[in-house]
Amino acid sequence: MSSNNGHGGHSRYSAWSLVRHGLTPKSGWPRAWREHDLESSYDAVIIGGGVHGLATAYYLARDHGMRKVAVLDKAYIGSGGSGRNTAILRSNYLTPEGVRFYDRSVKLYEHLAADLNYNVMFSQRGHLTLAHNDSSLRTMHWRTEVNKLQGVDSSVIGPDEIKKLVPYLDTSADTRYPILGALYHPPGGIVRHDAVVWGYARGADAHGVHIHQQTEVTGIDVSHGRVTGVQTNRGPISTPVVLNATAGWATLISDMAGVSMPVQTFPLQAAVTEPVRPFLDTVVVSGTLHVYVSQTDRGELVFGASVDPFASYSMRGSLEFTEGIAGHVLELMPALHRMKLLRQWAGLCDMTPDYSPIMGPTPVEGFYVDVGWGTYGFKAGPVSGEAMAATLASGKPPEIISAFGLDRFTDGRLVGEKGAAAVGH
Amino acid sequence: MSLLPTTRRGADAPVSMRLGPQPGEVIDRRRTIPFTWNGEDHRAFPGDTIASALAAAGVRVFSRSYKYHRPRGLLTADYLDPGAFFQVGDEPNVRGAHRLVEPGMEVSSQNTWPSLKYDVKAVNQLAGRFLATGFYYKTFIKPEPLWPLYEKVLRRFVHAGAITPDPGEAFYDHRHAHPDVLVAGGGPAGMAAALAAARAGASVMLVEENHQLGGHLRWGDAADLAALGELRAQVAAETGIEVLTDSVVTGRYDDNWVGIAQRNLPGVAERLIKARAGTLVVAPGLIERPYVFAGNDLPGVMLSTAVRRLVNLYAVRPGQRAVVMSANPEGDLAVADLERAGVEVAAVLDARERRGVVRAHGRGGLRAVETNEGRRIEADLLVTATGWTAPTSLLNQSGDRPVYEPTAARFRPDPARMPDNVLAAGEIVGDATVEAIVEHADAVGREAARRAGRGGPAVTIPSLAPRPHPELFTAGTGGFVDLCEDVSAKDITTAVAEGYDSVELVKRYTTVTMGPTQGKLETVNAVALVAAATGKSIAETGTTTWRPVYAPVTLGALAGRPHEPVRHSPMQPWHDRHGATPLVAGQWIRPEHYGDPAAEVRAVRTGVGIIDVTPIGKLDLRGPDVPKLLNLLYVNKWSKLGLGRVRYGVMCAEDGVVMDDGVTGRLGEDHYLMSTTSSGAATVWEWVENWLQTAHPDWQVHVTPVTTAYASINIAGPRSRELLGRLTDVDLSADAFGYMNVRQGSVAGVDDCVLWRIGFTGELSYEIHVPASYGLHVWEQLMARGADLGVTPFGVEAQRILRLEKGHFIVAQDTDGLTQGYTAGIDGLIKLDKDDFVGLPELRWQRERDEHAHLVGVRPLDGSIVPPEASQILDSSGGIAGRITSSRMSPTLGRSIGLAQIDRELAAVGTRVTVRLPDGRDITVEITDAVHVDPEGERQRV
Repeated sequence: MSSNNGHGGHSRYSAWSLVRHGLTPKSGWPRAWREHDLESSYDAVIIGGGVHGLATAYYLARDHGMRKVAVLDKAYIGSGGSGRNTAILRSNYLTPEGVRFYDRSVKLYEHLAADLNYNVMFSQRGHLTLAHNDSSLRTMHWRTEVNKLQGVDSSVIGPDEIKKLVPYLDTSADTRYPILGALYHPPGGIVRHDAVVWGYARGADAHGVHIHQQTEVTGIDVSHGRVTGVQTNRGPISTPVVLNATAGWATLISDMAGVSMPVQTFPLQAAVTEPVRPFLDTVVVSGTLHVYVSQTDRGELVFGASVDPFASYSMRGSLEFTEGIAGHVLELMPALHRMKLLRQWAGLCDMTPDYSPIMGPTPVEGFYVDVGWGTYGFKAGPVSGEAMAATLASGKPPEIISAFGLDRFTDGRLVGEKGAAAVGH
Repeated sequence: MSLLPTTRRGADAPVSMRLGPQPGEVIDRRRTIPFTWNGEDHRAFPGDTIASALAAAGVRVFSRSYKYHRPRGLLTADYLDPGAFFQVGDEPNVRGAHRLVEPGMEVSSQNTWPSLKYDVKAVNQLAGRFLATGFYYKTFIKPEPLWPLYEKVLRRFVHAGAITPDPGEAFYDHRHAHPDVLVAGGGPAGMAAALAAARAGASVMLVEENHQLGGHLRWGDAADLAALGELRAQVAAETGIEVLTDSVVTGRYDDNWVGIAQRNLPGVAERLIKARAGTLVVAPGLIERPYVFAGNDLPGVMLSTAVRRLVNLYAVRPGQRAVVMSANPEGDLAVADLERAGVEVAAVLDARERRGVVRAHGRGGLRAVETNEGRRIEADLLVTATGWTAPTSLLNQSGDRPVYEPTAARFRPDPARMPDNVLAAGEIVGDATVEAIVEHADAVGREAARRAGRGGPAVTIPSLAPRPHPELFTAGTGGFVDLCEDVSAKDITTAVAEGYDSVELVKRYTTVTMGPTQGKLETVNAVALVAAATGKSIAETGTTTWRPVYAPVTLGALAGRPHEPVRHSPMQPWHDRHGATPLVAGQWIRPEHYGDPAAEVRAVRTGVGIIDVTPIGKLDLRGPDVPKLLNLLYVNKWSKLGLGRVRYGVMCAEDGVVMDDGVTGRLGEDHYLMSTTSSGAATVWEWVENWLQTAHPDWQVHVTPVTTAYASINIAGPRSRELLGRLTDVDLSADAFGYMNVRQGSVAGVDDCVLWRIGFTGELSYEIHVPASYGLHVWEQLMARGADLGVTPFGVEAQRILRLEKGHFIVAQDTDGLTQGYTAGIDGLIKLDKDDFVGLPELRWQRERDEHAHLVGVRPLDGSIVPPEASQILDSSGGIAGRITSSRMSPTLGRSIGLAQIDRELAAVGTRVTVRLPDGRDITVEITDAVHVDPEGERQRV
C-alpha cells in the first residue's frame, strides 16, 4: 500500500488549486484521509481520534519516523470533546508550567494552518476575562504580572476600554455584577475546532498513519507488565505501544490495562444561538457569572459555562443550563434579549484533583496516557501531540510535560491550575 | 375577488394575489392593519402572517441566500420557511411565514445590499463553482498575515438580521406547571389525545406551534373543516385542558422535564414554561420534505402544503400557472386547491408513475419546468409533494431511536425504545383517515392518563403504520439540500468523496442542517445523499443527533425575570444614611468605608470602633460527633475544646491547599457555632454536608446555616470592653471572659446573643452575634451609648489594614489555589500526628520536601511607596520568586507594609529583594515578620 505520498500533486490546498478544481469540476478532490483494513499489528496504537490522538499520530509519523501507527475512534473523528468544545484558545495561565505549556500551544496554533496546509481559521481576536469584584480584579493583576514576565501579552484594562472593545457589554456601575475591569489577552481567540481535527487527520494520513473510525477498543492486552495489544470490535491488534488519548472514557480505557486514574468525569454544556450580524469581536469570559461568549464567523454566539456540579457520563443538555446561561449573558449584555438559542449540547470532562492533565508513562510498560484534560484539552491539542509523540518515540516524557506525570499523585507534586482553568475559558 | 389596496404605483406594481373568502381562512377581512416592507407601505388583514400579506400583495422574492445571494421566495409558508427570515424593527431573524402582522411593524429583508432586488453580492453566484464546500479550509492559508483580512470579509457575509445595542424593553417570564399529560402538537391527534386524557381525569396541557389548533385539517375540505370544528368545540368545552397556541415544546429532558416557549400571552414577549409532565404525548404531525433538483430554490418553487396554506388559510393565490409533481394524495389535493384558486394547472407530474421534475429554469423567479420526459413547461409555480419527514426530536430526546421504513420513505418511532412516560400519536406514528387517527389518539390519550396515575383499565392502542410512499429525495440534477445554508447536493457528494463520509462529518464539513431550521426540512435528504454516495442504505447511514431546542427560544424567555438577590445586613439602612461607600462582596453589599479608612484605623487603635461583619459565614452544629467533624475538616485538633472556649482553625482541601479559616466556639455540651470567611460561607456549608453525607453518614451531626439568622458586629479597640459593658449582662472582666472564650447573654436588651472574644484586628475586641431582626437596634445602641467614647464605625478597608498590620492572612487573597498549609505559615496549627484529616497526606509531603514558598511580611525600603498587590518579586536572574499579596500604607506605623508569598530561599527575615511594579519600575523591599504591629499580642489579651 502506498501510504507516504504526502500532499504531493493535486491534493495540496491553495487558492490556485481551488480555481483549478472550479474550472475542471470533474477532477474531484482526493480523500482528506483514507480508509484502511485493520492490520494485525502496529508499532503504536492511539486510542481516541480527537485532536490529541491525531496530533500525536501526526507528529509521531512526521518527526519521529514512526509510520505504522493506528488511530482508533469508536465513532467518527472529532466526535468527542474536540467537536464539542467552544474552541477558545489562550495562554494567560497562572503557573509557570501552565503559561509555558499553553504558550507553546498557541504558538503552534498560529502556524498550524500553514503547517497542515489546512485552514483552521485561528482568529486571534482577543480574549477578555471580566472582573466583577475586588478579588477577581486582584487575580487579573496577578495573572497580568506573571504573563508579562513570561512574555505573554496580557494587561488589565478598565471599564472604558472594555466598552470600546465590546460596546454591547453593560459597563455601568449600577448593575448587579458591575464590571470593574478585565484581563485583556490579545493573542487569545477562537479556532474552527473541527478543522483542527481534520487537518491533523489529513496530515497524519499523508505520513502513513491509519485512521480507523467506528473502531471501538474492548480490551487492552497486558502480559508480564507490558502492553502487547488491544482488542477491538473489528478484531485484535498486536502492538507494543498504546496511548490512551480519550476524554470522558479515560478511566474506562485505563482500567482495561489495569491502571487506575485519579479522574472524575463531569458533563460540560454549551449552546449556540441563531446567527446575527457580527457585533462581538472578542471572546468574553466571566468567572463570577460562569459564562463565556464568542461570535463565530457565521454569526452565531457560542456560549459555555463551568462543568455541571455532579459527575456523570451523560451528554444530554439540561434546561437549567440554558436558563442559567441566558440569565448570565443578559447580565453582561442586556441588549441580546431577543436573540434566540438554537441548539445545546454537552461534552465530557475528565477532571483531575489539581486541574492539570495526566501525561506520560504508567506502571504498565508501553501503556501511556494523555488524559484528565478537564475543560481545557482543546487548547493544548498541538503541544500535547508534540510532547506525547516524543514520549511514545523515546519512552520518556520531554521536559515541557514532566510536571504532569501520573506519579505526581503519589509523590504529592500537584500542579494547581484551578485558579486559571476552572472557568477560565 | 377582493383586492387589498396597496400604495405601490408604477409599471411593475404587482398584481394583488388575494382571493375571495375561503371556507377555512384565518384572516379577518373587516379591517386592515398597516406595516412597512423595506420602507414601502403595505396593509394586511388581522390574521395574516408577514409572508402571507406580502404574497397577497404580489411579492415573490423575500430574501437573498447565505453564500450565493440567490433570490428566495416562499417554500413552506410556515414557521420553518427558509426564505422568510425578516428583520422586524430591532428584532432579527423573525420567522415571517409564522409571525402575524401587527400594526406599524417595520419589516425588512435581511442579507441584502443595496436592495433586495439589486444585490451586489449576487456576483457570488458567478463565483459559485470556486466556492465549493469547505473552500475556506482549502485557501487563505498563506500568507499567514493576510488571514485576519480574509476573515473580516467572511464575516461580512453573515446571513442574518442585526441587533442593536439599545433595543426596546421587553417583558419575559417563567412559569412552572405540573400537568398529568402534556400533548405536544394540536392537530387532530393531539386534540383527540388531550380530550381522552382529560375525560379520564387528567390535567392536560395542549401545546400547538401555530396560531390555531387543527394541524392539516385547517386547510382540508368541508369534511375536514367540520371535523375540526367539532374537535375544537370539544376541546374548548373541556375544562381539564389548557390550550397554548403559538407555543412550542422546546425540549424533553430527564424525567419528563419539558420546556415550552409560550408566545401568545399578551404583554409578555415570551414565557418559558417548565413542566414536569406525568406523560408526554408527542403528536407533531409530519413535515413535508422538499425535493432536490437543479433550480429547486427559485422563487415560485413551493411545497404542496405551502400552496394549501396560502390558498386555504390566507386566501392567497400562489401563482398564475402551475406544474405539480405529486407522489401522494395530499399533493393531489393541492391540485384541486390550485384550480379552485384560479391557477392554471399546466401539468400534473404523477411521481407514482415515475414522472417528475428534473430542473427548474428562471432568473429571479421560476419561468419554466423541465420534466424527466424531456418536456419544458412554462410556469411561475412549481409544486412538489414528494414525501414527509417525521419530526422525531422529542422522541430522540426521550431516548427513542426512530427506525427508517424504506417502503414509507420516512422514519417512524420505535415503541420498544420509548420510556414509559412518553407516547406518540398521530401521523408521526402512521397514516390513516382522520377518524382512524382520532381513534388511535383517543386510546393514546387514555393510556397517557392511566400512566400518569389517573387510573382506568389498561388500554389497547390500535395499530397505526406509515402507508407506502415512493422514496423521492433528489432528481440527481443538483440543486440545494439546505436553503438556509446554501448547501447543494453536489457539496454533499463532494464532501463524501473527500472522506467526510459519515452523516455527522458531512454535517460539520458542509454545515448542512446547521442553520435555523436545524435539519427539519433537510436532514433526510442529506442522509439520502450521503447514503447514495457511500453505497450504504439510509437505515445504515442514520441521522445526526436531534438536540434541544426543538424551536429557537429567546434568551429573554430562558432568563425570565432577573432574580439575582443582593444581600444586605440589617444595619445597611444605617450605613446608607451615614455615607458608607458600598463594596460588592460576592452576594453581599457592605460598607467599604465611611469616608476615611485611615481615621477609622486610628480610632480602633486608640479608642473603639464597630464594624458590621454580618456576612461572616455561620454554621450551627449540634450533636455528639461534632468534634469528629471538626477534627476531620480542620488541620488542627478539636477534641479538647472546653465549654465556653473558642478556637481558630484552618481548613485545607484534599490537595492540602488552604480553603477557609475561621473560629468555632463551643456553646453547649453538644452545641457549637462555626464561623467561616464571608466568601466561603456557601462553599464550607456544602463541604461539611458533603463529608457528612458521603463519607460519614453515621455521624450524629446536625448542620444549620445561620449566617443570615444573626447580625454580627465586631467591637474593637482598647475601649471596647467599656462600651460593650454598658449594654450587656455578661461579665466582661478579663478573669471572667478571657481571650478566645465565648459567652451567651443579652446585649442592649436583646436576649440569646453570642459573644466571643477574639482579635482579628489585633486589639481587644468582641464579636457579637445578635438575632438578625435586632441587628439595627443593637448597632444604634452601640453608637448612642458609645458617643462619649468616640465610637467610630469602620468598614472593610479599615479592617483589611488592621489585620494586615497584625499579619493575619486573608484566604484567597494572601493564599491562592496553590497555597498549601505550610506556605501559609500555619505550621503550628497543622497536626500531622492526628489520625486523619482532609489534606493530611499532601501536607505531610509538603513538609517533608520542605521546598515550599512562604508567606512573609514585607516592607519597602522607601516607606512612602505602596507596591500594588500582585507586584512580582524577582530572583537574582530576573525570574519570578513570588508576589506581593497584600499591600497598604499603615496609619499606625506611618509607612507601607505588606504580605508576600516568596520562595523559601529568599524568605528569611532581613533579606532584601527586588519587586517589579506593574509600571515597570523596580523597588527593593525587606522581608520581615508577618506581624507588623504588636507582635507579642499584648493588646488583644488585656
